[in-house]
Amino acid sequence: MTQRISKSKRFFMMNPVIQFFKFIWLSLRILVIVAGGHGGTRKTTTP
Amino acid sequence: MSKIVVLGAGIAGHVAAAHLRRKLSKEQEVVVVSPNSNYQWIPSNIWVGIGRMKSKEILFPLEPLYNKKGIGYKQAKVTTFYPEGDKETHKPFVSIEYVVGEQKGQKEKVTYDYLINATGPKLAFDMTEGLNPGTNKAYSVCTYSHAEHAWHALDDLIQQMKKGKKAKILIGTGHAKSTCQGAAFEYILNVEQELRRHKVRDKAEIVWIANEPKLGDFGMDGMLMSYGSNIMKSSEMVEMVFEDRGIKWIIGAGVNKIEDGIAYYENLEGEYLSETYDFAMLIPAFSGHGFRAFDKEEKDITDKLFKGFMIVDADYTPKPYEEWSVQDWPETYQNPSYKNIFAPGIAFAPPHAISKPRVSKNGTSISPSPPRTGMPSGITAKLVADNIIDIINGKKELHHKGSMGNMGAACIASAGYGMTKGSGISITTFPIVPDYKKYPDTQGRQLSKTFGEIGLAGHWLKMALHYAFLYKAKMKPFWWLIPE
Repeated sequence: MTQRISKSKRFFMMNPVIQFFKFIWLSLRILVIVAGGHGGTRKTTTP
Repeated sequence: MSKIVVLGAGIAGHVAAAHLRRKLSKEQEVVVVSPNSNYQWIPSNIWVGIGRMKSKEILFPLEPLYNKKGIGYKQAKVTTFYPEGDKETHKPFVSIEYVVGEQKGQKEKVTYDYLINATGPKLAFDMTEGLNPGTNKAYSVCTYSHAEHAWHALDDLIQQMKKGKKAKILIGTGHAKSTCQGAAFEYILNVEQELRRHKVRDKAEIVWIANEPKLGDFGMDGMLMSYGSNIMKSSEMVEMVFEDRGIKWIIGAGVNKIEDGIAYYENLEGEYLSETYDFAMLIPAFSGHGFRAFDKEEKDITDKLFKGFMIVDADYTPKPYEEWSVQDWPETYQNPSYKNIFAPGIAFAPPHAISKPRVSKNGTSISPSPPRTGMPSGITAKLVADNIIDIINGKKELHHKGSMGNMGAACIASAGYGMTKGSGISITTFPIVPDYKKYPDTQGRQLSKTFGEIGLAGHWLKMALHYAFLYKAKMKPFWWLIPE
């Protein structure tokens, strides 16, 4: 086992208060990306 | 009046049926044909496989819901397609066979005006010799019953480890062309955390085995992603997590045979090797169901409908990897020969892989097949439903389009269960199929929409999605406000 995640980073990853705000931010960011629309590819790129 | 028949009640089939029923008047008939009696939220199977959730928490029976909502339901499997009808029946129909109750074994012709084939994949365990869930100490988490079985075996091993037994756990893909590496990735991290929780981590050697050429390929050619203020490859992120958790890995491995506690594989170097284990969870290859189709003269026209999976509006022209483009990928999931047949979700035949094809020195193809997870399954099912509704309402063209080359996806990979000790790796990617022409400097992806995050919030997010999507699937009030 090799420590690849530093103690401070691990604290950030597992602190419930910090992660609560991260949860809100992640939810919104994912919603924007996923619900932000989808479409075809052929009309826009094929002359 | 139109009759829409939906084959399959997984994520794609259920989403399509639900949207059709909500948006169409009761004069239009919606019928679901599925051999399964339950809807299951597949992404939570991994938690059943570590004993932290019960099957009943991830499933519900379909028939009462469909009865309540006015959706017809036949618990049966489809066997044959007749898209022109036959000599006796002039409407198109599918031949089905009931799988339970008094009707078990009975066949029936189910006619349709529009057909949605959402039958998903066949879990092709038989493509790997000796791979059969529950035998040879190898298990699966592809269904809730498989996952339950896996947990019983893992729990038994944990009890033995508590008594001092040293064990080796092998998790990954069970065939050279498997896909769905993400599920195995989640499972290995969850198993690792559970071993720590049971205080037997030091007794176990955990090994990842996969057909990926690099860690973090996930069948999508890997990803370049933003991670905090850095830009990182998905291979680097997975390597970081595996090293931090003490998980070893074998990649470029095409597992070809399973014996009791031994997995035989060939690697990209052409070496034939084996790996022993005390418990394995290996994802099988996915294949089409082997359906056949006939025209009205009962001539075999299977190749008009199927190419393994169902043929849709993709460009299936064989071409080398360098010439692949996002334009090859389908937009409407409509069969080109029979315009009233659609295949969203996993049921459509992809034009080619997403990952670069790789062949071992012996000529064996060892590389992941393209993944099509829950989110694109739901999105493509909804757009197919919307297009059918448009056609019924008199529109001539299909306005709703959704190519995987112009669609984002989120993969919230559980890395351990627990409200305070849990963890998740949240990855979004846009587009799913990399567009190397549009985003040439960022490996085909838009970096602002392709990112990774690791932490407790990821576990909460996966839990939130679990409850939100089960709420949505149960068609409770305002369910349609939850996006696919």
